[in-house]
Amino acid sequence: MAPPIPNASFHGQEFMMFSDPTVVLIELVLTLIAVAFCLVIYFKTREAYELTKYESIKYFRNAFLFFGISYILSFFSSIAIFSRIIFGVTLPREIFGSLFILPLGYLSTMAILYLIYSSIWKNFDSKKTIIISHIVAIVLTIVTFITRSHLILLYLQSILFILAIIFGLFANKSKKKISQTKILYFLVLGLWLVNLLILGNGRPLHPLIDISLLTLSIAAYIFIYYKILKWVK
Amino acid sequence: MNNKKRDRLEVIYDILKIISEKHNSIKPTPLLRYSNLSSSSFNEYYAELQSKEFVKEIFDKDGRKYITLTDKGFKFLEKYKMIKGLIEEFEL
Repeated sequence: MAPPIPNASFHGQEFMMFSDPTVVLIELVLTLIAVAFCLVIYFKTREAYELTKYESIKYFRNAFLFFGISYILSFFSSIAIFSRIIFGVTLPREIFGSLFILPLGYLSTMAILYLIYSSIWKNFDSKKTIIISHIVAIVLTIVTFITRSHLILLYLQSILFILAIIFGLFANKSKKKISQTKILYFLVLGLWLVNLLILGNGRPLHPLIDISLLTLSIAAYIFIYYKILKWVK
Repeated sequence: MNNKKRDRLEVIYDILKIISEKHNSIKPTPLLRYSNLSSSSFNEYYAELQSKEFVKEIFDKDGRKYITLTDKGFKFLEKYKMIKGLIEEFEL
């Protein structure tokens, strides 16, 4: 017997649209573009890091490398969940869910923590904070793995997002206005969480909204890339 | 060189710039003096510059020690403004 559809509230029309190969192809292409920009940001800043070994450049680069890999994993996770509709083949969710959720949980949590830490590292002991970050990421991953739920990962990462906003607002009291860079970081983190919501909740949004949000993520990465290009030729 | 507190990258840049401006050859004692650092701080930075392979030591025929920039040191000087801009742009 075919496994049940992940979410009973899933609307038929959206379901049909996601089963449309064109929609899947568009999402695949957009995901690959997002991944490409994440990797370009990582490689474009390599020289700056290798020359200086400046810690926050390392955290900044790692954040985008991990986000890039997380986007690939989330896409394939999505494909695995909906394999029956897309390919007409049922992939065992127990195996594929575990296969993707472990690295996805760990890498995306580390990406969030690295991005937060890249801005506030001067206020903390680097070694201790990085060890704590790994522990947090492992704990979140274990909880997500036990529950096999992307939504649990979403809730836990949302707490990190709220902490990021608090740090962003209060870490530098001398600056009255929140900077454009911080807003951009919040956007990247927020869009990642929306991506998890889409993944974990049986795709509750219309596929066109999914595509629009993915496009917005790409726009944020392109903007970051453009800002890097101002300094790195 | 002004006295405001310099960050680590800026100090490294200043030391390398001094060497470069002295025709890429300077003795350790004048370098310490021009760098405007305490002796212990200077030794710490100098060890870092050596470990990062930004500088190397050469000796003249009388055995006197001089400090010169390596290719990597010149590259750092060339890219410093870019790196500094990147750090400031992203509040790193």
